[in-house]
Amino acid sequence: MYAEFYSPRVTEDTRGFWNNCRKHALTVQRCAKCGRLRWPASWLCPDCLSEAAETAALPEEGTLYSFVVMRRPFRPELEARTPYVVAEVDFEGGVRLVSNLVDCDGGELKCGQRVRLVWRDSESYTSPVFTPAGEKEA
Amino acid sequence: MALENLRGRIAVAGVGYTPQGKVEGRTAVSFHCEAIRNALEDAGIEKTDVDALLLYRHFDPVGGDQDVTAFTVAEQLGIRPAVLSQETYCTRSWLCHSMGMLASGLAKYVVVSYGDNGRSGKRSWVKELSGGQASDELAAYGDLSTMAKYAMLARRAMAAYGTGPEVWKKIAVAQRRWANLNPIAAMHSKVLDGETYLASEYVAEPLRMLDATPNCDGGRAIVLTTLERARGLRQVPVALRGFGSANQPLSPFRLRMEDESSAARIACRQALDMAGVGLGDIDACELYDCFTYTVESTLRDYGFFRPEEVREWLTADRIGPGGELPVNTSGGMLSESYFMGLTPLSEAVMQLQGRCGARQLGQLAGTRMPELILCSDNGGVFQSHLTMVLERGQS
Repeated sequence: MYAEFYSPRVTEDTRGFWNNCRKHALTVQRCAKCGRLRWPASWLCPDCLSEAAETAALPEEGTLYSFVVMRRPFRPELEARTPYVVAEVDFEGGVRLVSNLVDCDGGELKCGQRVRLVWRDSESYTSPVFTPAGEKEA
Repeated sequence: MALENLRGRIAVAGVGYTPQGKVEGRTAVSFHCEAIRNALEDAGIEKTDVDALLLYRHFDPVGGDQDVTAFTVAEQLGIRPAVLSQETYCTRSWLCHSMGMLASGLAKYVVVSYGDNGRSGKRSWVKELSGGQASDELAAYGDLSTMAKYAMLARRAMAAYGTGPEVWKKIAVAQRRWANLNPIAAMHSKVLDGETYLASEYVAEPLRMLDATPNCDGGRAIVLTTLERARGLRQVPVALRGFGSANQPLSPFRLRMEDESSAARIACRQALDMAGVGLGDIDACELYDCFTYTVESTLRDYGFFRPEEVREWLTADRIGPGGELPVNTSGGMLSESYFMGLTPLSEAVMQLQGRCGARQLGQLAGTRMPELILCSDNGGVFQSHLTMVLERGQS
């Protein structure tokens, strides 16, 4: 069972992302002027500085850029769910997200492998997390 | 910025040390003050000569301590500098500010100081939480601590070119050997061998506790002035022959280990260009070493070795006592003390001044007296970088 970590601190810029997560939609901003996708969320585009933005859906699969197996809890309340895996996942369009890798053995992960999106609903927020692609197919 | 007009313009005229390691019963501000008082004595200037005081960085108070500001330190020293400053986060602007003030004549003597009781006060490096609540989004994934951010890039480097704990072990061991020669190093009496390193547990895999710099109580301060003024003072002046400043202000999770435009690469190029020297002219390196991997990535991005050569090049024999390219000769932040950029910088000054005793380059077997030392300061997670080429001047 997935255990909630900490409810994210949601800002006026990131509210859209987390609201869409609650609806199981993984989205980021796309600049309406130059088309660049961006994450972290921001009021204006880090390329052309326009504030005109649209919402773009990210693909359901990405590539594992890197990962860390957290083997010792950095907070006492995390002891029960340690070890766990923090990951960086790359998507087409140049966006990278921080996330978790779930339902896998941290010792078998490899940078560059494909990972697919799964949703984890906690009481107060929903996280997009990832699992190795192609392993849970019927 | 080639800026050859800045070559050798300013110098470190004095360094101030304090008791360090585990030093209980002291406020953070008291360490700033003791370090500054000792730096002024070292340089041979009066406290009223200080017209600019820069606190290296702000820290949230720990234990029962109170906040430290530049006002507090100036008040306790009984001075009224024209310029007071304190950097909030790790953008490492102290050097450019100092150069600007000294080169323009706006200040004659700049003091940069650091003081912390983070070891006794058990300072936390988990910025993603504040009062048990998330301060950002990373906490939602349990992505806590600076160590986890470095571990992420270290893992990528393993995949990219075959580095890993076998290399970082050598950095930890070599720097501990330097600390074993340094009576004031926190780890002076603690020997470290490779087997002990490998037997220790992962914390944020692939990094271990022995890959990480521990908290420290104590302070450090430097006095900067023009080279001309430094020549008339107490110590052999250490000139800043060249420096570079660069930033890569991406969120750490967006950094690419393979970045050709990393802040380290750019800052080093600028420093060497300003100094008019190459890597082959460098006698020793004093590098910011918050983690063992930081030392590797700095040496790599500076161009000392090609990534695929790391296992042959980066050995304890090469960078440790008696080696061809001494690195972090005080023991570094990993094994001597944790005063961020002032740790490597002050050791570079002491080595060039010949004041390092049993670890002095040129007195230790297999080493030579250094003329040029390459020094780094880092901020954030590979986000801010200063490279300095320090040269022994003439009195």
